[in-house]
Amino acid sequence: MTPDAGPREAALRVTNLHKAFGSLDVLRGVSLAAHEHDVIAVMGASGSGKSTLLRCINLLDIPDAGEVHVGGELIHMGFDRRGQRTPADPRQVDRIRTRLGMVFQRFNLWSHMTVLQNIVEAPIRVLGVPRRRAMEQADHLLRKVGLYDKRDDFPAYLSGGQEQRAAIARALAMEPEVLLLDEPTSALDPELVGEVLKVIDDLAAEGRTMLIVTHEIGFARAVSSRTIFLHQGMVSEQGPSRQVLDEPRSERFRQFLSGGDWGRSALTTPSQSGENESP
Amino acid sequence: MVTLDLHGYGWMLWRGLGLTILVGLGAMALAVTFGLLGAWGKLSRYRAARGLAGTYTTVIRGVPELILILLVYYGVPTLIQDLAARAGHDLRVDLNPFVAGIATIGLIYGAFATEVFRGAFQAVPRDQVEAARAFGMGRALMLRRILLPQMWRFALPGLGNVWMVLIKATALISVIQLEELMRSADIAARATRLPFTFFFAASLFYLGITIVSMVIQGRIESWSYRGAQRG
Repeated sequence: MTPDAGPREAALRVTNLHKAFGSLDVLRGVSLAAHEHDVIAVMGASGSGKSTLLRCINLLDIPDAGEVHVGGELIHMGFDRRGQRTPADPRQVDRIRTRLGMVFQRFNLWSHMTVLQNIVEAPIRVLGVPRRRAMEQADHLLRKVGLYDKRDDFPAYLSGGQEQRAAIARALAMEPEVLLLDEPTSALDPELVGEVLKVIDDLAAEGRTMLIVTHEIGFARAVSSRTIFLHQGMVSEQGPSRQVLDEPRSERFRQFLSGGDWGRSALTTPSQSGENESP
Repeated sequence: MVTLDLHGYGWMLWRGLGLTILVGLGAMALAVTFGLLGAWGKLSRYRAARGLAGTYTTVIRGVPELILILLVYYGVPTLIQDLAARAGHDLRVDLNPFVAGIATIGLIYGAFATEVFRGAFQAVPRDQVEAARAFGMGRALMLRRILLPQMWRFALPGLGNVWMVLIKATALISVIQLEELMRSADIAARATRLPFTFFFAASLFYLGITIVSMVIQGRIESWSYRGAQRG
């Protein structure tokens, strides 16, 4: 049975996405589907459109053409008075965004809130979760990412790795159907990369559906089920991660893999973690 | 040791001080309100709102405060009476100088606060807004929960400045017969023929207000910086 013929709708389906910034075509017809429990690594040289792809999925950037389905629901697009493409229903976009957990390269934690406040903010205010339950869930997530003792600290007093783990907990608190991670370790000092990758690895082991833009080849090989290689705004290669990463077909991808592997991945073997979380 | 002999007019200065502070606080509250509205207008997507806010700040900042005060206090009632007379009504309108003072000073310094708030909103890092959008916050929620709390950090130094100038500008409303600090000092100075004594005493009172204000402002700023490391 091919994935496309499956009885269940893909958790996330992107069809023929186009995006240009001025005269620069960043995305030139990208399609992909993430099914439940898929972990898809999106790779590509800088400027290949990886981050833009992620930002077009939750409409932080508005794609010029193409469709995005989340759990089978199409995000409806229309045009504003100036003829610019824009979401037909902003409330639908807000609603869909709550189902897509976003983890930013530079964390983007709200700086005037403590770690705990960051995590409960959107569940309480956007989803309407009762405060007590949101707090309990936040505590659970904080233990999971190893930040329980930092719950009352402000982001500015955390290390980058801690900030990113807090940001992941914040995204998880929305109980999203799909997690979008935009180069989650690129802004980190090398010695802090491992702790973040470990958390993401645990999420993969739990069966979370994830789309991860990453440069960490060893990590992609260990954690992702599929890898997509973007080149000049198009999918130039894709398939099961082991296969694609071990036997790249195109010269470009081969070059990317040999030049891009900085040899410092924290995870070079498949993980056995995530089986029994300590409290 | 030199002491200021106020010849029994001390109570009048104290009462004037109280009134000055009251007018100042009222006008500041109004200025903050106008400032937020003005900044919202200036940063609006809608051309009409931008135009309105632009006209407000241009006109107010371009006309001397004293003229505006006289215009509001004497001009507005006359205007209303004339309009009423034209419509066949005999109307006598008197503005309460306290209310007129607060309204005018608030309106004037609202224009300055507009610029302060506009800069402060724009100083909030983009990534804070993006995170709010990515978590499904609508515009109103994002404004209330993310933008406003972060904007204060950038607005407070400028607002402190507005307050300092505003509190001194309240002296101008002595021209509309409100017995605030300036007018009280003037009355006492004329009655006792001791202008130096009373204007000097009044200036110490004003200085006292601004020094206390600076201390309070410092406290508020540290509060607004919670969570941020200061350089």
